[in-house]
Amino acid sequence: MAKTIKFRLDGTAVEALEGETVLEAAERAGLRIPHYCWHKALGNPGNCRMCVVEVEGAPKPQAACRLPAKEGLVVRSASPASRRAQSAALELHLVDHPLDCPVCDQAGECGLQDYYMDIGRYPSAMREDKAHAAKRVPVGPHIMLDQERCILCTRCARFVSQVSKSHELGIFGRGHNEAVALVPGRVLDNPYSGCLADVCPVGALTDRDFRFQVRVWYLDGADSVCPGCSRGCGIRVHTSTRRPWHNKGRRLARLKPRFTEVNGHWICDEGRYGYADFDTDRLGKVMRLKDPSAELGWDVVCDEVAVAIRQGMLKDPAGLAVVASGGLSNEDWRAFRSLFVDALKLERFLFAPEPDQVGEQDELLRRRDKVPNLEGGKAAGFGTQIKSLDWDGLAGEIESGKVWGLYVVDRDPVKVWGERGRALAEGLSLLVCQGPRKGLTGGLAHYRLPATDWLEEAGSFTNFQGQVQTYLPALKPLGAARPDWDIFSALEKAVNG
Amino acid sequence: MILLGWTAAKVAGALGFGLGLAGFLGWVERKQSAVLQDRIGANRADIFGWRILGLFHPVADGIKLMTKEDFIPRGVLRPFHDLAPALSLGCCMVCLAALPFGGEFEAFGGSWSLQPLPSPVGLVYVLALLGLGVHGVVMAGYASRSNYGLLGGLRGAAQMIATEVCMAAILAGPVFLYGTLDLQEAVRWQGRLLGGWLPAWGVFTQPLAFLLFLVAGTAASKRTPFDLPEGESEIVGYHVEYSGMKFGMFMMSDFIENIVVCGLGAALFLGGWQVPFAHLGGPLGGAVMLVSFGAKTCALIFLLMQVRWTLPRLRFDQLLDLGWKWLLPLALANFLATVWAVWWLGRHACL
Amino acid sequence: MPVSVRPVARPSRGLWEQVYILEVVRGLGVTFRHFFVNLWRHGLKLAGRATEPGAVTIQYPDDPAVLGRRARTRHRLLRRADGSPRCTSCLLCETICPAKCIHITAEESPDPGVEKRARSFDIDIGMCVFCGHCVEACPVDAIRMDADRVELAAYSRTALIWDIESLMQEPR
Repeated sequence: MAKTIKFRLDGTAVEALEGETVLEAAERAGLRIPHYCWHKALGNPGNCRMCVVEVEGAPKPQAACRLPAKEGLVVRSASPASRRAQSAALELHLVDHPLDCPVCDQAGECGLQDYYMDIGRYPSAMREDKAHAAKRVPVGPHIMLDQERCILCTRCARFVSQVSKSHELGIFGRGHNEAVALVPGRVLDNPYSGCLADVCPVGALTDRDFRFQVRVWYLDGADSVCPGCSRGCGIRVHTSTRRPWHNKGRRLARLKPRFTEVNGHWICDEGRYGYADFDTDRLGKVMRLKDPSAELGWDVVCDEVAVAIRQGMLKDPAGLAVVASGGLSNEDWRAFRSLFVDALKLERFLFAPEPDQVGEQDELLRRRDKVPNLEGGKAAGFGTQIKSLDWDGLAGEIESGKVWGLYVVDRDPVKVWGERGRALAEGLSLLVCQGPRKGLTGGLAHYRLPATDWLEEAGSFTNFQGQVQTYLPALKPLGAARPDWDIFSALEKAVNG
Repeated sequence: MILLGWTAAKVAGALGFGLGLAGFLGWVERKQSAVLQDRIGANRADIFGWRILGLFHPVADGIKLMTKEDFIPRGVLRPFHDLAPALSLGCCMVCLAALPFGGEFEAFGGSWSLQPLPSPVGLVYVLALLGLGVHGVVMAGYASRSNYGLLGGLRGAAQMIATEVCMAAILAGPVFLYGTLDLQEAVRWQGRLLGGWLPAWGVFTQPLAFLLFLVAGTAASKRTPFDLPEGESEIVGYHVEYSGMKFGMFMMSDFIENIVVCGLGAALFLGGWQVPFAHLGGPLGGAVMLVSFGAKTCALIFLLMQVRWTLPRLRFDQLLDLGWKWLLPLALANFLATVWAVWWLGRHACL
Repeated sequence: MPVSVRPVARPSRGLWEQVYILEVVRGLGVTFRHFFVNLWRHGLKLAGRATEPGAVTIQYPDDPAVLGRRARTRHRLLRRADGSPRCTSCLLCETICPAKCIHITAEESPDPGVEKRARSFDIDIGMCVFCGHCVEACPVDAIRMDADRVELAAYSRTALIWDIESLMQEPR
């Protein structure tokens, strides 16, 4: 138990841990002191001077981010003197700021706007021309740099040196000419470059993917978990549904990191930009291959699928294989096991990742398995008691006639099998495709059962460390789509008659 | 044969008078309200650029109503839904027959009566048929199977009972004074002069009854401030499920009831076809009689129209209070006073 | 929070009002006066000797509509010197619009000095309430509303949705 230090901030008693600064202790206690350059994960260079506070006994205002908490300290961050000092610092930041908020994507979540409205509100005393610098420079595949808007807090330079350790950005020049720029010959293309748009407190580094799509005040948000790999980073999902003409008609606007113990403040670019096609190729209607235009209800189709499964199993009870996905939530896995293992007593399962679902891994966040919840499957017995077939093995069993039916959950085996996939699928006497997207398999399946994707349902993932994290729905399901577990239980009811 | 032709001509004349005036009243209503509200009123309908103060509007309205789709909602009680407007319009149209449009005049070696239906019980006939007219309203409200229609019909029934009873009681005074139920006789009675200079019109001999008659008559013809069965700003009324000419028939019957009530008022209180200090005879006299009666009727209509655009609609309890607590007692008091006065004057041989 | 109540006395009714019939007569007096005065004036007008109008009606469209001097109606997007729209697609007008009748989508501008411009800018005049907030909100004076342009009717709802080209046209 570390020793605690008690001090007072704006009349409130605050407890600091030994070695903490006043600003850190205040943030932890939920008290806000203005700041730009300080970031919990990136240190405190103390160059923005926004956190200057009045300290009793000190002749001059002190920077709270550099001020170690001391017993009995009396700090006033909102006193007139503090506000005057903070306001002066803000005015200095804005001296060369182009004030192009109307075209700036940061507008609405910009530190300059927020603090100007909170503590600024001064009439501008600047009579000189503003210094101009490079605007809209695409410094990397995901990030756009605007040197004019920069306040030189150095967060970005610290990020590339401390977190991504890729060192693409630096602060160059002096005085009016001081600016953030790429190190000559480099491109900002590290796998975490999207985080620079998050750490930048102003509009100097913005997200190219999100550029000009939606103004941030039209966004709705929900807390979720990234399904991009088995890390399970906490994310905040921003959706744009109130004005469908924005964001090119897509509902999902952007993903932002959400601080959790698992991922800290960051997420990787793969996860951040991996869901641009979230709304493409979606299933929204329960369909039967024979008469695709028929309006079917869930009850009818569940009964038909149950009858088909039962009839096939009368002849060959082991000939039905199930292809599942590591993208199922823990709840889905339970219902999955209940239906296919406990009720139908099937033996052939394939839940190993698809070949392209295995990718790069690094020490920071990214994991090799690009599916979120293989651990949840293990907890339900898949991978421990029940072994997974491999893709070629399953293809061989279909060719040899050992497998007559295939139940596919959120997978696209026809695509995995490539050229022979189509023939394999057409050789089956029952092919059911359940999932949010159609894919190649959906086009050949005898029954298509639309399921919600992870953003449209609540659930939980277990990451590779065994950490269970819940995610909340950010969007409404499309059409008749239902969560996977719901479909499994409906089907189980139908199978049990 | 000639008599039959003469009667047919009189019936045709009475119907023409009623229907023509009813159509015209649509225009009067719009224009009068416009003028008294500082507006211009409907004036856009034209034929070859001629607008004639908007007089083509009733024509256009008529054409529109007749050519409009007769929309019959699903679920209405079919025969009654069709019957109601006919009943409503029919009842008030036959009332016209008993009105004394004129007296008798001598011509072509005979005596010609200008009343289409000379009857010793003309007043009872008119009151009875006016009362029957409300069946159309109730039937329309009930057959429409609409809550608002039904409310309108119920209001119509309650209002009819409250006001028709009063109407009979109010008219008891003049009837006792004139000593007849024959409208022609009543008009003739008013031909005398009181004290040699004042026409013995009902309005002078029975002023209270005249006032009460105006109130009860307005209520009987369902006009504002007593248009509760219609109440267009609250329930739209008994004809809410009617369209086209069926709705038009309800409108027509409203106007014709108005004409009948005003004609009755003219006959009983304004001396009917009489012209003071003038003895009317011959074909010319007959014409003067018609004009005199028409002018008096129109004057009353004008007055009621003005009232209609001046006063707001009464609340339903206020209407019933007015009918049962004020009109009826006052009418009975007037009747008793009349009886006493006739007895007293008769004893002193003044009459 | 205590609610402050101010009792308002009912207007008292004296004998005059309670008799009612006298008030009815007074009311009829008002309407009769209006009726005959207006009728007299209409008659004078017919006779070509009009002094005062008998009605307050303005016979639009025969007579021009009388608008307040400060009434502003038809939207107009202003141009830069080079003819391109001034709009930077900041969406402030769309944000403030209480009728949600402004639909803007943005895109990158090819002009090196401009950065952001509107790819589409639609105003649904049929939904507009003509409050003028869009004009107030615009930081670059790109949208204004013209005076004396009220005849915006069209024969279909879609024709009431004005796109950027029609919004930029000079008023007829």
